[in-house]
Amino acid sequence: MRGIPERPDAERQLRAAQRLAWLSIAYICSTVALLFMVMGGSQAMKTEFVEDALSFLPPAFFLISDKISRREPNRRFPFGYERVVSAAYVGSAVALLAVGLLLLFDGGMKLAMAEHPTIGGFPIFGHVVWTGWLAIPVLLWCAIPAHFLGRAKRKTASILYDKTLASDAAMNEANWQSAGAAILGIVGVAFGLWWADSLAAVLISLEIIRSGWHELRTAVGDVTDRSPKTVDEKEDDPIGERITGFLQKQPWVKDVVVRVRERGRELTADAHIVPTTDRISVAEVSRTGELACKIDPRLTEVTIAPVEELPDEVLRARAPEQA
Amino acid sequence: MLRCWPVLLSLVTISCGLPRDPEGTSERIAATHELRVGVTDNGEWVDADSSEPNGIEPELVREFARRIGARVLWSRGSETSLAQALKHHELDLAIGGFDAKTPWKSIAGVSRPFVETADMKKHVFLTAPGESRFILTLDTFLTERMRASRGQG
Repeated sequence: MRGIPERPDAERQLRAAQRLAWLSIAYICSTVALLFMVMGGSQAMKTEFVEDALSFLPPAFFLISDKISRREPNRRFPFGYERVVSAAYVGSAVALLAVGLLLLFDGGMKLAMAEHPTIGGFPIFGHVVWTGWLAIPVLLWCAIPAHFLGRAKRKTASILYDKTLASDAAMNEANWQSAGAAILGIVGVAFGLWWADSLAAVLISLEIIRSGWHELRTAVGDVTDRSPKTVDEKEDDPIGERITGFLQKQPWVKDVVVRVRERGRELTADAHIVPTTDRISVAEVSRTGELACKIDPRLTEVTIAPVEELPDEVLRARAPEQA
Repeated sequence: MLRCWPVLLSLVTISCGLPRDPEGTSERIAATHELRVGVTDNGEWVDADSSEPNGIEPELVREFARRIGARVLWSRGSETSLAQALKHHELDLAIGGFDAKTPWKSIAGVSRPFVETADMKKHVFLTAPGESRFILTLDTFLTERMRASRGQG
């Protein structure tokens, strides 16, 4: 199947990921509706509401891009559509960052101007209770299922090598922090501490900014072809060295530079090779390329370019990054 | 069983003194027995011209004041001056035919509606912002009114 790693359980995991995405969308609809009902005049609840509403984007992107990215390459898009996801993510990361900054400003101003949040009564079953008490179970509903949803997504993401799913999972798993901050804000207000609400709002907006910044770095990294990172974005992926190591072991290879790029869930590599002799067999080159492709299930294509000497531009791929 | 938990929740939390008023409105009213209300003229809702304000909303305010054992201290002003006074906690309530979409809600607090008119406007009181306990007491009173008005209609 196109667009997923060649692993026996990959198709099953893809279907699991799609189910999780639909489940997330249904779940987010419920949290957003509940938060809206019990928001009152609380800035923390408003911030949490916006955060939850924005978390609608990653699963929606996943479902849409999953359809588009598996379209076959054609004359107009010779490399296929894998990059659609990365493009969508640059947009959503910028939105997340901008909204986070706006909410930080909003909450910060409320704190600075000593604005007291008005949280009144909520009629329920013929009785009026303080809206803040209802906000607490709603926030728990925002935090706890999200955590388990996030864990399930992370597992699937690591099998599919899907970074968008992985960052969505990380956001879900961290949602208990913002929901917890909002609960503390509400409890603070119940004890007459008006500033607890705006302070919680500021903390939640910082969390939004943090994830926006993280996603922007990832997304921009992807579209600028920086060397691959592991699926959790924490370490460099050793795939480049592994391909280089494999090629150097071939008897006909004297020197080699491998450049790997990430394209959505897939990897493609090009290898500039200086052969040991002037005459090489085409069959040998093709076979080496095919074998190199089997090093990692994510690799869809290894292009081999035999050259007399390594071009300067290509050689620079060995140089360390200049800050 | 499902219907009794809001009552239980309210009883338990109110007896613990929660939620509290950051500026102590409820305590002040309990001590001085004075409810400070600002009025601004607005048709049948508030007639602020006579010596004692009349109309639908002043009547409601008097009933609420009786309920919490306070007498009403009236003061008159424009919407702007009333909203500012609420913000600085110089008033507890303001009335003047405000509805739930009032632009003053960015400055002052807004109560639950006590009536919905034929043109879908939900009429509310403005309150001093953030006085959770006091607003909860007011909201409880006004929600009863809302039910009564719906029962009639």
